[in-house]
Amino acid sequence: MPYNNREKKIGSYMFDKFSLKLSSEDKVHKEEQILKLRERYRDYQDPWGFNIDTVIEALNLTFPIYKKYFKIRIFGIENLEDKPYIFASNHTGQIPIDGMMITTAIAMEMDKPRVLHSMVDSFLAGFPFLGSLSAQTGSILGDRGNCKWLLDKGESILVFPEGMKGITKSSHEFYDTRQFSNGFFRIALGQKTPIVPITVVGAEEMFPLVFHAKKLGKVLGLPTLPLTANILPLPSPIDIYIGKPYELPDHMSVDAQDKEIRVHVQKIEKQINEQLKNGLEKRRPFFDSVRKPLQDFLFKKGRS
Amino acid sequence: MSEKITKNKILIIGIAGGLAQITSRIILQNNPDAEIYGVDNRDVPEVELKGLTCIKMKFSRGNFEKLFREHEFDVVYHLARISHSNIGPQDLRKRLELSVMGTSRILDLSLRFGIKKLIVLSTFHVYGALSDNSIFLDENAPLRASVKHAELRDVVEMDQICTNWMWKNQEQVETVVLRPCNIIGSQISNTMSKYLTSHFAIRPLDYNPVFQFIHEFDMATVLARSLDELKTGTYNVATDEFISLGDALKIVGVKGIPFPVSVAKPLNSLLKKGNLDIPDYLIEYLKNSCLISNKSLKSFLGEDFNRFNIKQALNLLKI
Repeated sequence: MPYNNREKKIGSYMFDKFSLKLSSEDKVHKEEQILKLRERYRDYQDPWGFNIDTVIEALNLTFPIYKKYFKIRIFGIENLEDKPYIFASNHTGQIPIDGMMITTAIAMEMDKPRVLHSMVDSFLAGFPFLGSLSAQTGSILGDRGNCKWLLDKGESILVFPEGMKGITKSSHEFYDTRQFSNGFFRIALGQKTPIVPITVVGAEEMFPLVFHAKKLGKVLGLPTLPLTANILPLPSPIDIYIGKPYELPDHMSVDAQDKEIRVHVQKIEKQINEQLKNGLEKRRPFFDSVRKPLQDFLFKKGRS
Repeated sequence: MSEKITKNKILIIGIAGGLAQITSRIILQNNPDAEIYGVDNRDVPEVELKGLTCIKMKFSRGNFEKLFREHEFDVVYHLARISHSNIGPQDLRKRLELSVMGTSRILDLSLRFGIKKLIVLSTFHVYGALSDNSIFLDENAPLRASVKHAELRDVVEMDQICTNWMWKNQEQVETVVLRPCNIIGSQISNTMSKYLTSHFAIRPLDYNPVFQFIHEFDMATVLARSLDELKTGTYNVATDEFISLGDALKIVGVKGIPFPVSVAKPLNSLLKKGNLDIPDYLIEYLKNSCLISNKSLKSFLGEDFNRFNIKQALNLLKI
């Protein structure tokens, strides 16, 4: 469902307030990428209601956030070719902004841009408004049949092998990756699709103080209930590391035993953790990037 | 492929429905020697068609026994599943009696009176519209319709009775159970056709599920071809195409009432008083998609078994 004018006005006000206006160079780049996406997805239709117009509306909103709010740096984009991949990423932050930013990166940074299809939980897929909006922008229920359909059509998918556990971490558990599930590796084996390990650094600090009231969440029928000090995510600078595609073993069956699969999943997990360790050493100081936008917001008045 | 056996004497249960009418015409076109007996407990249409006799009768064990005894039928079409439109959950007992107990009797009689082929019309609703549905469910997918809506129990139970019976008696009776997607058309009066042509249709604001539609003529053709071309088994019936509900409503030209479906269920009980209701279970189908695979059907009927594509089928609703 395309955004209406009122939402556009609110969006433009917020962009102005948070200094999210793109430079003319970025604007031109965005338009070029959007043209390429329109061309690629002109005749594409999927059974979840994908709509390229909604994708573009969403990119118009997320790209300024990507560029100016989270000041995303991307490393290793040269590792990617124009072919289907299963992107496997660590899961950080309390809301799946990491997924949104990876998707924006693939759409905006690749020479031949793609819409990355994120796998979402059934809770989000069935949620009013959000479920429909995410389906229109290419996010679908994380189900093997769904993944197979997309990969058969030459599309790439984004999975978070940590699952919900990945984004339900309290402050003291930040950057502590949870055990990866084996499902995504079996899908990759079945479809013979290489896996690209992705690491997101900096997204945990969007909500620096978090406590998960899991028991209360259960009572309310929610997967979890994060209690945070801030409602909006803070502009923590985010780095996205794209690793080299993981070569799948030649003769491994999709029905191989868990222990055989586990060896490979652990290698991918290790690669993501190494990227995470390096990324944490090289990350930009967080509070420098928080101070200026906060000052702008609080003290600059009468901005046009 | 089933062997070619004489299938001239055909019983169609539920002849008052639009789909049964079209099916009987197609069968008679393909086989002018066929003799069709159509029965229904509703008023039957007065049709003057050589080979078709329509009878209104009460659906009782005695009447069915008499019918099977007097006519030596080769084939039975069971198209008399009671519709859920305009019927609320309070009528579950009535529907269980007609759909489940009635079907059970028809199965017994088919075995007793040496029916060669039995074709049962079930529905894709048996799979249920749930947010964690995979896409293109095949015939082995679990039947979860009653997980959220107990009133769909009759639909699931009828399907399960037929499929269990089908495998148990496959040596005696060749049985085909069809689970079609939404059948639409101007002659058929089912919930979806009514919904798509109603000015009071709720247009979901918060959801936009994807649907499969098949035109009534194409469905009737599948029913007619089942006679000779489908062997014992369960088959989903759908074309390859799908469309979002929003786009489907645009094609049929129904603006509908924009409304968040999340709050429709509590409101529906109020609307019932004004007779503007839609069945509770349909609300679930306005939220979540339930798409079925047609692989199995196409392996028997070929790739191009349908005449109308999805846009044509929707456009024909306007006529």
